[in-house]
Amino acid sequence: MIYEYWLASIPLLSDCKKRKLREEYGNGKAVYYIEEIRLRFSGFLEGKDVEAILKARKKDVRKEWKQLEEKKIRFVPYFAEEYPTRLLQITDAPYALYVKGRLPDKDVLSVAIVGARKCTPYGEGIALEYGEYLAENGLQVISGMARGVDGAGQRGALNGGGMTYGILGCGVDICYPREHIGLYMDIQDNGGVISEQPPGRPPLPVYFPLRNRIISGLSDVILVMEAREKSGSLITADLALEQGKDVYALPGPVNSQLSQGCHRLIRQGAGILISPEDLLVELGIRNQQSEQKSDKIKKVLENHENVVYSCLGLFPKGVSQLIEETGFSAQEVLERLISLEMKGYIREISKNYYIRN
Amino acid sequence: MSFSTVLSAAIQGLHVEMIQVEADVSNGLPMFHMVGYLSSEVKEASERVRTAIRNSGIQLPAKKMVINLAPATVRKRGASFDLPIALAVLASMGIFPEESLKDTLVIGELSLDGSIKAVSGVLPVVMCAREEGCKRCILPRQNIQEGILVQGIEILGADNLTEICRCLNGEQELESFVGGIHHYYDRGCVQQNQKEEVLDYSDIQGQEAVKRATEVAVAGGHNLLFVGPPGSGKSMIAKRVPTILPPLTQEESIEITKIYSVLGMIDKENPLMTGRPFRSVHHTVTKAALIGGGMIPVPGEISLAHGGVLFLDELTEFQKPVLEVLRQPLEEGQIRITRSQGNFVFPANFILICAMNPCPCGNYPDFNRCTCTQAQIQQYLGKISQPFLDRIDICAEAPKIQYEMLAGAKKQESSARIRERVCRAREIQKKRYGQKRVLTNSMLNVNELKEFCRLERREEALMRQAFASLGLTARAYHKILKVARTIADLDESEKIEESHLKEAIGYRTIDKKYWGR
Repeated sequence: MIYEYWLASIPLLSDCKKRKLREEYGNGKAVYYIEEIRLRFSGFLEGKDVEAILKARKKDVRKEWKQLEEKKIRFVPYFAEEYPTRLLQITDAPYALYVKGRLPDKDVLSVAIVGARKCTPYGEGIALEYGEYLAENGLQVISGMARGVDGAGQRGALNGGGMTYGILGCGVDICYPREHIGLYMDIQDNGGVISEQPPGRPPLPVYFPLRNRIISGLSDVILVMEAREKSGSLITADLALEQGKDVYALPGPVNSQLSQGCHRLIRQGAGILISPEDLLVELGIRNQQSEQKSDKIKKVLENHENVVYSCLGLFPKGVSQLIEETGFSAQEVLERLISLEMKGYIREISKNYYIRN
Repeated sequence: MSFSTVLSAAIQGLHVEMIQVEADVSNGLPMFHMVGYLSSEVKEASERVRTAIRNSGIQLPAKKMVINLAPATVRKRGASFDLPIALAVLASMGIFPEESLKDTLVIGELSLDGSIKAVSGVLPVVMCAREEGCKRCILPRQNIQEGILVQGIEILGADNLTEICRCLNGEQELESFVGGIHHYYDRGCVQQNQKEEVLDYSDIQGQEAVKRATEVAVAGGHNLLFVGPPGSGKSMIAKRVPTILPPLTQEESIEITKIYSVLGMIDKENPLMTGRPFRSVHHTVTKAALIGGGMIPVPGEISLAHGGVLFLDELTEFQKPVLEVLRQPLEEGQIRITRSQGNFVFPANFILICAMNPCPCGNYPDFNRCTCTQAQIQQYLGKISQPFLDRIDICAEAPKIQYEMLAGAKKQESSARIRERVCRAREIQKKRYGQKRVLTNSMLNVNELKEFCRLERREEALMRQAFASLGLTARAYHKILKVARTIADLDESEKIEESHLKEAIGYRTIDKKYWGR
């Protein structure tokens, strides 16, 4: 297996060439011991590929393998039995995966929740809600563990007590972004972190579009929460369509740039996310719609608080704007906002800017 | 008579030292020698004095003249010793009797033609002279208005050296006043000054929440932070804060005028400061300029803002160490500067008003326009340290201005109405704290909080709930109590009600932990 790992971890050599080498020579060990001259005249390797292989032979592969074991990182090449069958079906399946934790269960429906890193509280909130609901209903959630929507979706899944898998654009021993260290640790206990990059590889921009194909490849359904006109989430959605997966997009306000990408997807025929229950019905997991819960809130609120609450939405509003809209004085509005905040109906996201929870 | 003494004064920081200017004229090699720990501008006085005396038509004898400025341990600076030196020399030459200068303090700068020029720091010098038991002061004529602010001392104003000599010989009377601040009020200068206040809160359309927060801050002397996008009127609101501050008392006027006098920043004709100062400081300011500095320190911006407002626009652009030096004065209401020359204490009791953007581009949380990443916002906010934030009681958001706000013709509340409420709240605080060190709610310490901000059971329960659900810290809790006390005072309510607490919670400072989540 050491030699298989050695072959998989050669930098600057494409997956396709690695696969061809292995198929021609039978296994990794054989590839390791090919003479240089035969490499040069193999017919499909270029000069720089040969250099890369020769250079890779010089490194201490045994030590690296030992580190892999110490860090409890599993090495799963494409020919291994546990290699996800979903991935084998895509055209450019990664040569090997590195896993900390588990790999997605092939018998459970898996849903990817993707979206902008710089999202609005709206996108983040909805991602959290979907993640939680899906996990509660036994689905597994796949995402990129990035800031914004990705992280929120996965955090939601953890809250819902389900399994979630983070696909990274760097080595699995690196937590990127760093502030998600808590999420990174939790995911390893309730699912796993997966990457095609060997351990220690830093998060470079080029790796991120590549990992998107794994996200879409590992999932059966893709939910796009918020995306700009040009965004990585749309790449994932496009790849998913190529791979024949279902894509759903979350509608947002028409004047929000962060929803433009989603609206485009919907126009192109993507499913529309109305509610998590609705999604499960569409996926055939549930067959009846449950009652809406929103009316319940209003009954417990005081009349005046209700006026303020009804002015708030999922996009932040400042106190001054609320004063204009409600006609209350500054004191009254602040007082009611604090009551609502303490009851947990609204949230302050920047100084004196509030949104509904 | 070959020896004489004239009384003068030197200013060290804001403190006045009485200086004896001694002159001795004796036989020996002709020379003019000055001693007594003099800075170079005082040493240069020898040339000015000799020329001025000659140009006043008095022949200097070819004798040895020694001038001593005592006490020799005090560093003498500035040009205000010219006149006392000249008079000491003339007295020892016997031009006029030395007794005529008894109990008389003299300051003034000489011109080569013998005329007398204005100097700075007249007010504190004259005040000190009165305390030391002087009967009269001879001042440059241009400084008279400043001198007569001091009660119960005779002020003589002179234009040139000849005039003084003739007066001291009893040949001519100098223009003379017995001082008292009433002179000033009688002349109607106060009204005149107030007319210049053209700023008013009725100029600002909308922004109700910010105006209310400002009112609360001023009523309780709380420090204030505005957060808002560029061009949202943060500075506009801050500039109008002096219009709602309670008017200055006479003692406060004098205290502030003293500071400005030392720095030579007052109007010679209307020297008394009747409006509260508003100091807007640019973010390139240095530590020394802010708190005061120099080998012998002179007061800085925070002392100039004493009794008024210090406004720091673009708070995040200030150098971090510069902001940190504000911590001690914000706590104590004064700044203590230590030099090898000694300790200098300058008053610095001001309301701090800061303004900043919520993120580097200023548009957060408008997601369509904000281009900053989370990390950038965190870094931006990280420029302000927690201990500094802890000294700010009230934080208010200044929203982007909508067109309706600009075009609106709604009648806005005038500054005078707001000021009335502020004054009433201050009055209540004064009555409550009586003879205590505390003047406003913002100065309460933890023990006093327990005494004056006691909560009833219902309010107590509200705070407990807020503590848990909003994740307050102990510090935030105390600040909320103080601000709630002020809001209750504005309401003229003895007891802190639930509604007061809730409003105060709304003003709590930005908490970095929750920002941008």
